[in-house]
Amino acid sequence: MKTFLTCILFALQFGVLAQDANDILSKVITKLNTVKDYTVSANIKADIPMIKILPNNATVYFKQKDKFKVQSKGIVILPKQGFTEINTFLANKKSYMAVAGDSSKVVGVMTKQITVIPNGESSEIILAKLWIDTKRSVIMKSQVTTKSNGTVTTNYTYGDKVSYGLPSQLIFEIDVKKFKLPKSVAADINKTTTDKSTPTKTKGTITITLTNYKVNTGLSDELFKKKDK
Amino acid sequence: MLLKNTYNEFIKILSKPRSYLGVGALTLLIAIIIFAMKADGKSIISFVTASFEQTLTFNGHVLNGNLIAFIILQMLIVHIPLLVALVTGDLISGEAAMGTIRMLASKPISRTNIVLSKFIAGAIYTLFLTLWLGFLALFVSRQLFGTGDLIVLNSDGLVILQDADILWRYGLGFCVAYLSLLTVSTLSIALSAFAENSIGPIVSTMAIIILFTIIGSLDVTVFDNIKPYLFTTHMASWRSFFEDPVPFDDIRQSVIILVVHNILLVVIAVYKFNKKDITS
Repeated sequence: MKTFLTCILFALQFGVLAQDANDILSKVITKLNTVKDYTVSANIKADIPMIKILPNNATVYFKQKDKFKVQSKGIVILPKQGFTEINTFLANKKSYMAVAGDSSKVVGVMTKQITVIPNGESSEIILAKLWIDTKRSVIMKSQVTTKSNGTVTTNYTYGDKVSYGLPSQLIFEIDVKKFKLPKSVAADINKTTTDKSTPTKTKGTITITLTNYKVNTGLSDELFKKKDK
Repeated sequence: MLLKNTYNEFIKILSKPRSYLGVGALTLLIAIIIFAMKADGKSIISFVTASFEQTLTFNGHVLNGNLIAFIILQMLIVHIPLLVALVTGDLISGEAAMGTIRMLASKPISRTNIVLSKFIAGAIYTLFLTLWLGFLALFVSRQLFGTGDLIVLNSDGLVILQDADILWRYGLGFCVAYLSLLTVSTLSIALSAFAENSIGPIVSTMAIIILFTIIGSLDVTVFDNIKPYLFTTHMASWRSFFEDPVPFDDIRQSVIILVVHNILLVVIAVYKFNKKDITS
């Protein structure tokens, strides 16, 4: 009887936590869904071990549900996942289970941690942890683990488009320890000495500052089909 | 008299079919590389960036003329010395083989000036070959593939250089590449002063380049002291202009060593030709 009651209490507690988490997520998704499309200017700064690149500018286009395009004059480096994947994943409420966790401060803002676990095995995302500002219903931080790309942590900062849930800055933290250069191509016959030191830094960051949002202007699908020259 | 003789020497170079062989081979090789890049360039690029693309994406015009030019230079800078030596290795020994060396030495010009005019003519031919390489690699590639940022793969990672920051690097890179090829030209002419036939200096030049390159690439401590003084160690210095930051001190050292090689080889050739017995 005691065990039975404990189980019931645990189930109720879990149900309450799940309900709480789903409500929080619902508000975030509702806010994000108010954006049908957007265009934004991005300044991309990559600080990644083994890659030297100067900051570059680009224009980012997005259209619901998952159309995404980056247009730039020069070469820009972006994380393989991060811009739209988590939003697209969260939009399908039946595909995951959400559990509320502890409250904690992220960049001085009180957040609620939500752990999202996919229901099926087919999902690319294995586990997502979200730190959500419940007052403004926006994601402040996410930690997404995927099957093919490892774990990417993203920190969000918001500006004047917080009412749409659109960030003004994204900072991605990427695991880079698995980078390997093809020796045959990298061989530099001019180098007479070999650099024995190995890079100790295993995390790279990509900082994307987003300005000049143009929201819900009615972007055409053709824009996303056009290939960059 | 030196200039007139240089002009004559250059005419001699132009009249030899082998002089056009180098230009033709260079044009054909570059055409093949450009065709390959046009047909399947993206897969070649992804071979380099595959490791990074598991986590990152490279957005923008990656396969552009600047990158093609860099790939061409990297591929061909090893082979061009052969094309240079093919012509310059024949400049003195060819005269001996054809029996025209006596007639040449009987002209009212010092033997020193004869050798110097051959060096200058060889340098002009090498310059033309370098300019032709630059034109095909950079100008034609940029016309066909457009411009854009350049991804350079070094032994310690990727360097991405912005489009506006590239042309000066190519300009200076070609200057250093020319100095490297000039060293090959000078070496083959110097060897030519010792030989009586054309094949010897050409083969010897290539043998020296191969030998020095192998010594330079062997990671054995016994060679560490001589590696910095081998001219082959500095032949790829043009590549240093595509590092960030540019190691100007290393490049300066390479230029000094190449210039010293050139001067020494000219002095050796002049000395040998002045002492050369042309009567037998």
